[in-house]
Amino acid sequence: MKKAILSIGILTLIVFGLSIVRIYISNQVATSGVLLGQIQEQSNSYKMENIQLAENLYTKSSLTNIADEALKDGYIEQKTDFVLNGQVPVAYKQ
Amino acid sequence: MTWRYRFVFLGLVCLFLLVVARLFYWQVVKAQELSLLGQQQYGTTLTLTPQRGEIETSDGFPIAANKLSYLVFANPKEIQNKEAVSTILASTLKLDIASVSASLALDKFWVPIQSGVDVKTKQQLESINLPGVGFDNQYQRFYPEASMAAQLLGFVGKDSAGNDKGYFGLEGFYDRLLSGKAGQAVEVHDAFGRPILAEMNQSSGETDGANLILNIDRSIQFLVEQKLKDGVEQYGATSGMVGIMNPQTGAILAMAAYPNFDPRSYQDYTNDLYKNPFISDLYEPGSTFKPLVMSGALDAKLVTPDTKCNACAGPVSVGGYQLETWDNKYFPNTNMIDVIQHSDNTGMVFVTQKLGLDGMINYLGKFGIGDSTNIDLQGEVSASLKPKSQWYAVDLATTGFGQGISITPIELLDATAAIANEGIRMEPQVVAAVRDADGNTTQIQPKALDAPINAETAKVMTQIMVNAVNKGEASWARLKGYSIAGKTGTASIPVSGHYDPTQTIASFVGFAPSDNPKFVMLVILNRPTASIYGADTAAPIFFDIAQSLLRYYGIPPEGN
Repeated sequence: MKKAILSIGILTLIVFGLSIVRIYISNQVATSGVLLGQIQEQSNSYKMENIQLAENLYTKSSLTNIADEALKDGYIEQKTDFVLNGQVPVAYKQ
Repeated sequence: MTWRYRFVFLGLVCLFLLVVARLFYWQVVKAQELSLLGQQQYGTTLTLTPQRGEIETSDGFPIAANKLSYLVFANPKEIQNKEAVSTILASTLKLDIASVSASLALDKFWVPIQSGVDVKTKQQLESINLPGVGFDNQYQRFYPEASMAAQLLGFVGKDSAGNDKGYFGLEGFYDRLLSGKAGQAVEVHDAFGRPILAEMNQSSGETDGANLILNIDRSIQFLVEQKLKDGVEQYGATSGMVGIMNPQTGAILAMAAYPNFDPRSYQDYTNDLYKNPFISDLYEPGSTFKPLVMSGALDAKLVTPDTKCNACAGPVSVGGYQLETWDNKYFPNTNMIDVIQHSDNTGMVFVTQKLGLDGMINYLGKFGIGDSTNIDLQGEVSASLKPKSQWYAVDLATTGFGQGISITPIELLDATAAIANEGIRMEPQVVAAVRDADGNTTQIQPKALDAPINAETAKVMTQIMVNAVNKGEASWARLKGYSIAGKTGTASIPVSGHYDPTQTIASFVGFAPSDNPKFVMLVILNRPTASIYGADTAAPIFFDIAQSLLRYYGIPPEGN
């Protein structure tokens, strides 16, 4: 009879203990969710910022933009070319 | 006693029917709405939109990239003061207030308000903190080089389900690769709506689109577009186009058309500007076709460069039609070198008669005429050659000088490239490599399609074309010090069953340097008004671009 009461007591304690562990883990996990959410939000915001910076970089480094800027700065397209062919030496040996 | 029993029984039955009716209402009538509400309380299903692949030029610069934008949506059930929210949304997003009000009046949990909203507007709305209004990330096509290579790229529109879809050019041809695959994730919430293990239940499957790395050289494309625009305006043409290819690999280095459209606002342009005329427009090539026919006759050893034309003393009569030269000048006993130099139509009639119908059909087929080139762009067309039984004598004769036959510019460019590449015809390729979302790159190997002529014939034909450049009608525009092979073309345009003598398609096709070609180029001007001749209009554009290209490739001039 005593053994039976002891067994029931132990089992009750185990059930009680496991329940507490479960509650603790659940709470931890739920908190992690919030933290993970924040990390995810931060990671997304960096990602978005990168996309916006890349957009600016591409716009500034496009040939179309460079040509427009060059035109504003007074550069004009070279219309005639002077080409040295092989017949004329660049410098004579002294 | 009986009536009491019956009364209680009836009461119970009524109550039972009420319960059944209520259950029917919740489980059948309201089932979908409640289920949705339950799901929303439990978690949110997120569609993970894949990022569309970018399109890069050969230097790694993205000419079609992605830009972040937002979809503004609302939950009408959460919005108390619908009138005020409608007014704010309409004024901030520049929408019609009636349409916003109508959306918010719907008995739904989610209604889209506006897509493609920029970051600034989103931040403006966020600062107001409207209840029941949310934002979803979206990617929009972004073109750092504006309208550069517009017809080559195509554009991204929507399909019938409202999803992004590529149309025309590369966007259309490689739509599946570029689109990637959408994924789904469930974000589970607690009772306060806070996320529990965010994206824990994500179902995999999202794959970003692959990037395309093109053979297109951005510097050459930029240069060509500028020169073409200047040329079209200078010579008063209605339109123009230029294609440049590496004859050894088939790599398309540049392909431009003018006028073009801006892919960012494609809706503002007429549909006819969407297609790439270099692959979608059929035209009669005129004299630029002569080198192909002459190559066939030389390859079949039916003529040699020194063969004398015994039918070139005057107009030739074929099948009841009188065929003349373009300038009414005739050269009796002229040889084949001079036939190309003078662009002599009667000389080409002589060549076609030597070649015969079977020979003509055989060589045109090998040059890819009458068939699509398999270029990796959406919208390529081709006009099949007529069946042998439908060829008349005059058809054979006029085909010799490029009239009475319709081809696309890409067909001519590819066929001429075969002459430049020792007689081997390559498949034109716009895309050089595909890089998937994991960064693995797959190179697309050059592909030989056919060998219409042998290397020796190609060499001879090249020399004939070099002679045509140096001594022909366009010799005034040639680049001194460079050996360039080429041929002018002035094709009449068929209008209502006859050729209009005042309207032409002026063109020039050629390659340089002739002994080891770096590029083959075709310039076409549609209906130039300053002069109707290719030698006066298309040729100077060709040589202007060729000069810049030769300098770009660091090829110095040699002699005169």
